[in-house]
Amino acid sequence: MLRDRLLKLFEEYDQDVRQVIADILALEQEHISMERPRVKEQIKQIIKQVVKNEA
Amino acid sequence: MKLERITIENFRQYYGRQRLAFSRDHQRNVTVIHGVNGAGKTSLFLAINWCLYGEGVSSVGELISKEAASRAQDGETVSTSVELAFLHNDERYLVSRRLTGTKQSDSSVLVNSGEDFTMMRTSQDGQAKRVNNPIGAMNAILPSNVRTYFLFDGEKIDNFAKPEAGDEVRYAIYNVLKLEVLTRGRKHLQDVAAEYRRELKSISTGELRDLIEQEEKARADKESALAQKENLVREIESVRRKTADIDHRLSEMQNASALQQQRERIERELAQRQSEMRQLVSDIRETATSGFTIVAWTAIERALTVLDEKREKGEIPSSIRQQFLQDLIDRMECICGRSFEPDGPEHRRLLELMHNTVPGSLEDDVLATNASLRALDEQRQSLRSDLDKGMRRRVELRERMKALDEELDDVSRQLEGSPQEEISKLEMQRRDFQADIDSYLLQQGSLDSRIETLTKDISQLEKQIERAKKDKNKQRLLARKAALAQRSADAIDEMYQAFADDMRRRIEAKTGEIFKQLIWKSSHFQNIRLGPDYNLQVIDRYDRPARPELSAGERQVLSLSFVTAMSRISEGKAPLVMDTPFGRLSSYHRSSITEHLPELTEQLVLFVTDEELRDQARENLEPRIGAEYRLHFNRETSCTTILKGNDNDRD
Repeated sequence: MLRDRLLKLFEEYDQDVRQVIADILALEQEHISMERPRVKEQIKQIIKQVVKNEA
Repeated sequence: MKLERITIENFRQYYGRQRLAFSRDHQRNVTVIHGVNGAGKTSLFLAINWCLYGEGVSSVGELISKEAASRAQDGETVSTSVELAFLHNDERYLVSRRLTGTKQSDSSVLVNSGEDFTMMRTSQDGQAKRVNNPIGAMNAILPSNVRTYFLFDGEKIDNFAKPEAGDEVRYAIYNVLKLEVLTRGRKHLQDVAAEYRRELKSISTGELRDLIEQEEKARADKESALAQKENLVREIESVRRKTADIDHRLSEMQNASALQQQRERIERELAQRQSEMRQLVSDIRETATSGFTIVAWTAIERALTVLDEKREKGEIPSSIRQQFLQDLIDRMECICGRSFEPDGPEHRRLLELMHNTVPGSLEDDVLATNASLRALDEQRQSLRSDLDKGMRRRVELRERMKALDEELDDVSRQLEGSPQEEISKLEMQRRDFQADIDSYLLQQGSLDSRIETLTKDISQLEKQIERAKKDKNKQRLLARKAALAQRSADAIDEMYQAFADDMRRRIEAKTGEIFKQLIWKSSHFQNIRLGPDYNLQVIDRYDRPARPELSAGERQVLSLSFVTAMSRISEGKAPLVMDTPFGRLSSYHRSSITEHLPELTEQLVLFVTDEELRDQARENLEPRIGAEYRLHFNRETSCTTILKGNDNDRD
């Protein structure tokens, strides 16, 4: 699928960056029909979770 | 996404509940729905769009079947619904959208606000669950902003191929190939990273290291002061021992013994007085700090004066309460037993007093305040007396201690002036030792003060360091978050252009490949070019852009090639649902499209007129048709029925 192809592009990056990008792209896709989606808090939650898992 | 079936109920001219199953066969992947103009092809096409997205309908009131509405009573609820079942990523979905309204007396339907949109998902293990966010789920399956590239109106399909369609092509690529998702993700990550940095800046002062250095220095200073103090204490002890030794020797010398004993007696009394003085100073301090009434006395005195003035004016009768006056008036008799006349001087005076008294509760409060203030006065006088007594005793003690000091000096002078040289020498040594002790005690006091200050400073610094450490942890966490958000945004930025260029080139190549399969002048048109400006160009054999001179049919073929290419490149496995796709095409293009299109898509649904699909086109498609329906419009009822098969005679 295109999503897999897209994520494959980032395989040279660190695991934390790959995880953030995968989650963000899924989030943005879910809100793609909105002109100005309010996703800031959800993005912060994704970052927080990845940083927490990393620690 | 692969369509399984659609069930419609009272939707436009489709009265009642009707169902249509799409072909899902891999080889026979085409579903053909025939209908003459006005039979209901576009309504059925609209039903699919409305069910999935609830969009594209200018007036929802038109959706509810007029036949259903006409059969309803005034005030009765009428409704329409569309259910669509489809497969996606090995899971089965059932989405449903329902609209209700109320039949009005003028036969119109007043539509209720809001549509009921639900989605159920059945996983491979057979577990069915309601999807909580059906819009989000649809965006992940086939977003509404790309639906028009998969569910499209054949009459508008040539839009992409028009010379002015650069923006539309760019928009289509952005959305179908997830470039828009990447762009938004990058922007939102950058925004969040910037917000983290602002937050970090607001709490970051870089003071922790300074505070630790300050604390280390304060601790070193305190250690040094404590060591100096310890040396001093040892010196003082040493000098005191030497003084005691001299005292001992003097007490054993015949000519010094009496004076030495006198000195010891004076020193004992002096120590006693000094102890008494310390206690007295402590008591005076305590009395003074608790004597707030002395400070507040001016205000208290003023309050008492005001109350006294009021009482003298008769506004607040002292000890005469309202009830007592009322009793006298009621009895018309004085407390001595003498009666008085109504309206007589005694009666008038009592009435006057009654008039001047304040209401009972206020009178009580005033009297209570007066009593409290007078108690404070007594407390003030007692405090003042204690303070005066203490101060007098302090003066007495100071005088006595001064006298004792003078007596000690006198004893010392006598011993120093002794004709016996040893006595004189010992006393001079003693004086030097005393001077040393005084000097050492002075230094010790200074060191104590410094140690006390340093101890307070260290305690304060410890608290500040603790706070700074907490901030530091927060800073570290924020810095990590900011860095991760920024690195992720940068990663998208770095990969974006490569991905976009790769996608553009793939679409360019695929569009060219499909276009050449479908177009009959394949030798005239050499290539398709999709530049960085997303301008879709057909290049002719002279290597010149040929789009301005394309016929309407050729533009339609170009658009179809582009849409099909996007579908292939996106790997989204979405069906192609086309409403009257071949209307403007010549027989050659119809033939080539029907020959190749089923191979280029997972599932193809065609809404066609009989004119669109005949002869060679029909023959080409025949082996790929898995399901076929005819929309039968009943002239008597103005309703359409979905009939299986393609029997022309039934029209």
